Amino acid sequence: MKIPKHLSKGILPVLGFAAIYGLIMLLKSFGIANNYHIQILMFAGVNIMMTLSLNVVNGFTGQFSIGHAGFMSLGAYGSAIITTLILKPSVIPSSMQIPVFLMSLFIGGLVAALVGFLIGLPTLKLKGDYLAIVTLAFGEIVRAGLRLVEPIGAARGMIGIPTYANLAWIFAFVALTLFVVRNIIYSRYGRAWIAIRDNEIAAEAMGIDTTRYKIISFTFSAFIAGVAGGLYAHVVSFIQPDTFSFVKSSDLLVFLYAGGSGSLTGSIVGALLLTALPEALRFLASWRLVIYALVLIIVMLYRPKGLVGGYELPFLRIRRKELYEGVTESTVQDAEEGE
Amino acid sequence: MTTLLSIKNLTIKFGGLVAVEDFSADVQEGELLAIIGPNGAGKTTVFNMLTGIYKPTSGTIEMEGKNLVGLRPNQFAANGLARTFQNIRLFHNATVVDNIKMAYTLHSSEKFFPALLRTKSIVEQERELDIEVMRLLKIFNLDQQADLLSKNLPYGPQRKLEIVRAMMLKPKILLLDEPVAGMNAVEIDEIASLIRNIREKFNMTIILIEHHMNFVMPLADRIKVLDFGKTIAEGNPAEIQRNPKVIEAYLGGGYNAIA
Repeated sequence: MKIPKHLSKGILPVLGFAAIYGLIMLLKSFGIANNYHIQILMFAGVNIMMTLSLNVVNGFTGQFSIGHAGFMSLGAYGSAIITTLILKPSVIPSSMQIPVFLMSLFIGGLVAALVGFLIGLPTLKLKGDYLAIVTLAFGEIVRAGLRLVEPIGAARGMIGIPTYANLAWIFAFVALTLFVVRNIIYSRYGRAWIAIRDNEIAAEAMGIDTTRYKIISFTFSAFIAGVAGGLYAHVVSFIQPDTFSFVKSSDLLVFLYAGGSGSLTGSIVGALLLTALPEALRFLASWRLVIYALVLIIVMLYRPKGLVGGYELPFLRIRRKELYEGVTESTVQDAEEGE
Repeated sequence: MTTLLSIKNLTIKFGGLVAVEDFSADVQEGELLAIIGPNGAGKTTVFNMLTGIYKPTSGTIEMEGKNLVGLRPNQFAANGLARTFQNIRLFHNATVVDNIKMAYTLHSSEKFFPALLRTKSIVEQERELDIEVMRLLKIFNLDQQADLLSKNLPYGPQRKLEIVRAMMLKPKILLLDEPVAGMNAVEIDEIASLIRNIREKFNMTIILIEHHMNFVMPLADRIKVLDFGKTIAEGNPAEIQRNPKVIEAYLGGGYNAIA
């Protein structure tokens, strides 16, 4: 049986993801990969989502958010409140755990998106670096605010969050995020974002409502960050406000620019490598932070656009060529007839 | 002939400096109006007001009876005024095709959630858009460079691409800000025939800013001359060439004395 081309193209990456997952499970059953490795992979998955989220705003829309950990914490707390305090595992049937988990992630994403929208509304009307200052302040406000709310543990944090998120869920969400971000980049929205990034004045002159598209970008990005935060909470089962400090935001910026800003592949590479690197360097004890920083300096010196900047894996781009190959001839004919 | 654009007493002051004073013009459908004048005369400032980048201190810009003063630049574009820039402003890290598709954002009816999932309707809309863009590129001989990043294009084709991109907005009036600045004679001829082409094929109304007299004179139906923000002369190319005020503005007051 011949599989239609558009289907086979869509299925291949899914099979690829499944194969990688299968391989990891195989390694685990042989005892080569242990729970510690799996845990790091899950963190890397969450970081990939966070970096993709940041990439939408910083990489594709050309704005500069440096408080993305704030959105992550809103999503983490938003979803953890639902699964730990309201619909806790002891009060719902076990068959409802997964639906509740997914719903909580969605709500966590919505909370982050709503706040992102409200912050973006006044800020993104302005051109320039205002967003950086506002997001920096926002990240700190969220952190300081969460430290004051006693029902969710204040500064001590929330404990006992059910560990619903396993590696399979992380894989699925990373794949889904890649899918939707890729799709939106290759649509009217993504093109408008890139136009704003490359030349805001020209974008406006070409009829693009820059404020509107910047707000859409920021809100969408905040939603992804919220979902990623929710996943994170259900991996570690313990969150506290200080987890989502400015250090977290700056880590994400490092992942983005070391991997390659404006490239989805770059977000994967950056987040994956730089999540794993400090762990791999643990044998160096305190020296690992020095080596980590050194690696970053070397990357930026020799690959100023990031490790894979400007490159995109085939399944992460939508090539125009195949879209009009079949019509080129008729286009030529039409043009000739017109003369 | 109908009046498309009616500009009345457009004035803009930056602090104490009056950059443009009482600029008025009625632009007829299908005509090519050229605005000329020495450096610093305020030509680009007029364009910036006509596309919403600057807000005039006083005066009105009426497009088919609707006053556009105070709107944002993207709304000027939505009302049919599309421009190019004196210093090229392409989307440099996008391909030639994408540059043009970006100017279609306004007309696109792709919705957000279908776009997220890339539904069949999105794929179909993208395909139709690609066909339309390729057709436009073919007309202007840019189809061979379709997949090049716009920053990798030579200077001449970059200028051309900016004009084609503005055409994709399907404007009622095309505003060209020094389209042949920095070009050699061959490239200038090419742009001149491109502009003729646009007028013939699309019956486009054009407002043009240019220094280059040999380029403007054969193209323009009507010329307005600016000097220090004031309109000093108006008429068809032949009248302008004879106008002593124009000669003085361009060559200085001593010219008549010598001649």
